Amino acid sequence: MLTLLRAAAALALLALPARADVATAVEQVILPGYAGFTEAARALETAAEADCRPEALRPAYHAAFDAWMAVSHLRFGPAEEGGRSLAIAFWPDPKGSGAKTMARMIAAEDPAVEDPAAFAEVSIAARGLFALERLLYDPALTGDYACALTRATATDLARLAAEIEAGWAEFAPLLLTAGQPGNARFLTETEARQALFTQLMAGLEFTADQRLARPLGTFDRPRPERAEARLSERSLRNVQLSLAALERLARALAPDSPQTEAGFEAAGRLAAELDDPALARVGDVQGRLKVEILQQRIHALRDTVTTDVGAALGVSTGFNAADGD
Amino acid sequence: MATRRHVLAGLLASSLPRLSWADAGSPTFVAAARDATNAFALHGLSAEGAPLFAIPLPARGHAAAAHPLRPEVVAFARRPGAYALVIGCASGTVLARLTPPEGRQFNGHGAFSQDGSRLYTSEVVAETSEGRVGLWDTRGYLRIGEFASGGIGPHELRRLPGSELLVVANGGIRTDPEDRSKLNLDAMRPNLSYLAPEGELLEQVELEPEYAQNSIRHLALAEDGTVAFAMQWEGDPADPVPLLGLHRRGSPARLCPPAETEAYAMKGYAGSIAIDAAGERLALTSPRGSVVQLFAGDGTPLATHPRQDACGVAAAAGGGFIVTDGGGAVSHLTDAGMRPLQTTAAAWDNHLVRIA
Repeated sequence: MLTLLRAAAALALLALPARADVATAVEQVILPGYAGFTEAARALETAAEADCRPEALRPAYHAAFDAWMAVSHLRFGPAEEGGRSLAIAFWPDPKGSGAKTMARMIAAEDPAVEDPAAFAEVSIAARGLFALERLLYDPALTGDYACALTRATATDLARLAAEIEAGWAEFAPLLLTAGQPGNARFLTETEARQALFTQLMAGLEFTADQRLARPLGTFDRPRPERAEARLSERSLRNVQLSLAALERLARALAPDSPQTEAGFEAAGRLAAELDDPALARVGDVQGRLKVEILQQRIHALRDTVTTDVGAALGVSTGFNAADGD
Repeated sequence: MATRRHVLAGLLASSLPRLSWADAGSPTFVAAARDATNAFALHGLSAEGAPLFAIPLPARGHAAAAHPLRPEVVAFARRPGAYALVIGCASGTVLARLTPPEGRQFNGHGAFSQDGSRLYTSEVVAETSEGRVGLWDTRGYLRIGEFASGGIGPHELRRLPGSELLVVANGGIRTDPEDRSKLNLDAMRPNLSYLAPEGELLEQVELEPEYAQNSIRHLALAEDGTVAFAMQWEGDPADPVPLLGLHRRGSPARLCPPAETEAYAMKGYAGSIAIDAAGERLALTSPRGSVVQLFAGDGTPLATHPRQDACGVAAAAGGGFIVTDGGGAVSHLTDAGMRPLQTTAAAWDNHLVRIA
């Protein structure tokens, strides 16, 4: 009840002047995040050109995936145009579309690998970081064609990263001039704040309800094979990096939110204590319990962020988005 | 029971000088909204989305149905609905208040017969979510009967153009009568049902079993008899299922997937659907994805346009669509993209209803 009253009191102070929250998030978190990803993807492309062998490429691969995790939750603007974020990271893929398409390409020695424009037309499921993961961690994928596919995929990834960064050079000013005449994308400052708030909330939900929930499955049927990036054993790392990235965004949007900070700190600590890189132990009672506790912690954090950050920004989940009808 | 209010409403409707939609400022649309003081109202909007009038509602609204001749709309409560108000748009007064019979709940939508003498309301048996179509005589808005809707959890109900036949989107979801929680997601079977005005089930369309969790909820009707339907996916969000379907009587339904790159943009959720005046474009809104997807009339995907919390959509008078959103904007959507027309303090609720 107290929390509700606090939220109501904060909402009553809605006549907010132009504020630094959106600008801080864009300039200090989002743009540097995309710049970092572009750089890491370019480095991966260069490394693949020099040496396409899996063991040689893995460090650059992990660096690129790490860099993607800093921005993977930003599902609006240039990352959504043309399905770019899906082409970078197509997961979950319950029907295994990516592996199937890749197997077909390999069997046919699809010449798309010779032409970046043709490769950009390959199914989004068969490109990006998860395609590279198969090429670098599935021992069955070797040979000259696999090498060409690795290089083509890395080149495509670098292109996507560069396109998103270039797109943000035009998209960031729209966020920063929300509500000003001529800005048809963000008609009010509230829209810009709500757009960022939505990314934060959706990011927390994705980590709890996909990254953790998919391998958890049910108690009777745990599904460790459904963990994200389990071949490269990045499942837990992605959870941790996602939480860290969301914390940076939350801090930029609402710097004075001690409960939110405490929530991120607690979730981060639980994740760090997990010691289960591929979330493979969801099948045994102890291992499962720890993942469930982390998931509950993130759900609680989502509620804290809703009230805390939402009140600070003067926004909530969209009127209709929350409705369901 | 003919309450005094009902009788009065009937007298008013029949004895006053006949008012027309012009007396109501000729609104092109009506839409429910929450205003800046958190009060709910039904608004009349001009063709350009400018607010013309607002009539208070007792609780959050949903869709409305416009009388074909008289300047009256029936504004339905959000599901599970305890009220529907007949509003005289010229006078700004409530002409009648409809209350569902004991054990029934309104489900947010309704439609008039061609001559406006009858109103059909989408309803459920509260305890079981079995669908009903409520029948009302519009002379005094008296309940005159009901029949089965052909499924569980009916949502939108429409009368086919130039016909007395009804088409109902039976969403298939059994919900808790108090809190709307969904009770049968593993066993739901949505359908599209065509009903004669006296209730006879003429045709019923179900989707393939793999789409049993795709709740058919909203409808857009083409002049040629094609029924376009919009769905809300209750299955695994990682499955990119189509949210648009097309159906013509006597044929199977045809689902229309978006482009692969846009397959997740709607987040498995279509809030509203509309067909443009020329019958050449379909628009589906997703407040969860904050996008509107455009399709050709044959279901070919064309484009995905961002608009935050977009939900209401209806055909614009001069081509394209008018889109309303929870942030208060009214926008014009064409093949060229989304152009803002108005920003208001109202949080526009689903739906935007075109008047005739």
